[in-house]
Formats: sequence, C-alpha cells, structure tokens
Amino acid sequence: MNEYKPSTGQGHDVHIVSYREHASTFIALILLTVMTVTVSVFGADLYTLTVLTALAIASGKAIVVALYFMHLKYDLKIFRAMLWVVIVLFIVFAALTLADYMIRN
Amino acid sequence: MNMDTTFVLPNSGHNRDDMSSKMGMWLFLFTELLLFGGLFLVYMIYRFMYHEDFLEASLELNVWMGTINTVVLLTSSMTVAMSITAMQKGNSQLSLRLIWVTIFAAGIFLVIKFFEWSAKFEHGLFPGMEHYGHLANGERLFYFLYFFMTGLHALHVIIGGIFLLYVIRAIQKQKIRKDKYMLLENSGLYWHLVDLIWIYLFPLFYLIN
Repeated sequence: MNEYKPSTGQGHDVHIVSYREHASTFIALILLTVMTVTVSVFGADLYTLTVLTALAIASGKAIVVALYFMHLKYDLKIFRAMLWVVIVLFIVFAALTLADYMIRN
Repeated sequence: MNMDTTFVLPNSGHNRDDMSSKMGMWLFLFTELLLFGGLFLVYMIYRFMYHEDFLEASLELNVWMGTINTVVLLTSSMTVAMSITAMQKGNSQLSLRLIWVTIFAAGIFLVIKFFEWSAKFEHGLFPGMEHYGHLANGERLFYFLYFFMTGLHALHVIIGGIFLLYVIRAIQKQKIRKDKYMLLENSGLYWHLVDLIWIYLFPLFYLIN
C-alpha cells in the first residue's frame, strides 16, 4: 500500500496531454472520416467490402477517441480493463443473438 | 505485512477521491454504451432480414449533412479535450473559451439535424405519417430506427451541452480549478461518448448505399 496522495486524489501522476497531440488526433480522425466517406461514395460496387471497411474504420476512430481524447492511454489500466469487459460482453451478446436468428430459419 | 504503513486520512483538507469519481463516470458510460449497443443489435438483425429495403431507404439520407455533422462533432471533441489540458495547465480562461466552442459546435450539430429531420418530415417519412404507411416493411423499420437512434443521440447532445454549461458556471465560481477539475474531465468523457456513438451511427445509416 503506497501512501495516499491527497494533492491530486488521482493516486497516480497525472499526464497532461499536449494541445499538439490533441490536434494530431483530430487530424487522424478527419482523415479516417474522409476515407470512410470516399469508400462508401465511390466504392459502392464493392458492397460487402464497403460495410466491413466502414465498420473497421469506425472502430479505428472509436479506439483513437478512447485512447487519446478520453485519456485511456495515460490513465490507470483499470479503466481500459473495464472497457474491454464491456466490449467483450457486447460481442458475446451480438454473436449469440445473430447465431439465434441465423439458425432458426 | 508492513505494519508501519502510515495512512494519511483522505479528508485532510482534500476530502475527495478523483479516481473514484472518474470510475463512477465510466460505469455510467458503460450503461450508455449497452443502451445504444442493444439498439445497434436490433439494427443488425433487421438489416440482415430486410437487406434490400435498408439499402433503398438509406439512399434518402443526405450523406453530406451527415459528413458535416461528423466533422462538427469531432471538432467539438477536440476542443473539450483541449479545455481539460488548458485547465490542467492552469489557464482557466482558455479552458472556458474552448468549452464555449464545444457548446457552439453542439448547437451547429443540432441545427443541421433539425434541417435533416425537417426534410424527412416533409416527405412524410416519420413513423405514423402518410407516406411512411405505404413503405415496405424493411424501409419502415429503417426509418423507425433512424429517428429513434439519431433522436436518442440528439437528446444526448442536448444533455451534454447542459452538462457543459453547468461546468462553465463551476469554473466561473472557481469550483473547478487547476487542482480540482474532475467535473470538467467527466463532462469531457460524456461528450466523447456522444462522439463515439455518432462514429458508429454515421456509417451505419448514411453510408450503406
């Protein structure tokens, strides 16, 4: 048990994310958005590929937002672990529900 | 066991626990994620069952309005993240300004959403309207989910905006300071969640055609 640090109450050293890093994150997100719109508008003939690509790019964006904007990269590991639990939970529910619908017919 | 460990009472002038406060916010965000997750699951199933109708209905949505709104939300996400950086560095004036920019962006998002919805209303596509009744089953489901999910999301944008207004007041009253900014950080987390949900809503509704 380490001594409690009442000065921040965070229990660990706070990492301040620079303006520059936030700006780069923003640019990365915009580029991903441009990509996904381009794939959808100009690659409409590659139908199944487009849906999967769109979802993959969306997940990429979500990870970038969670890691940098939501500070998960520098925060306590417990927050990241908790988020994983929720994601896995959702994937399990989704897989079971989809399997149910596909098998019943 | 080390019995010499000294325990500093948490309430030695600092009777708060920032880490727990943030964890509470995350737990709340998880319930929000599962709320929208359930809706996405409904979307997935119906999209699987009414494949063609969903594509047909999706053509009606305006990709460019959706794209502009995506950029608006991403920008607001950046400004609120930067306002936390500013507060951590002790620049509360800059922090305030950045939050105002975020709220302004929320306003733009809602105005664009308003015009989008109005166009759909004019075409009678809202559930219960004339034209909606004549649509194929799958198209009706698409519009129902579209209005419900973007509506619920817009409600979150409004709540997030109110939360940020409250944070602005707290900064002005010096209740949020360089060494005490958890409320600001939590409002930021909420705002990013709103952005996260839109990141998935946008391709699934606007980009599937």
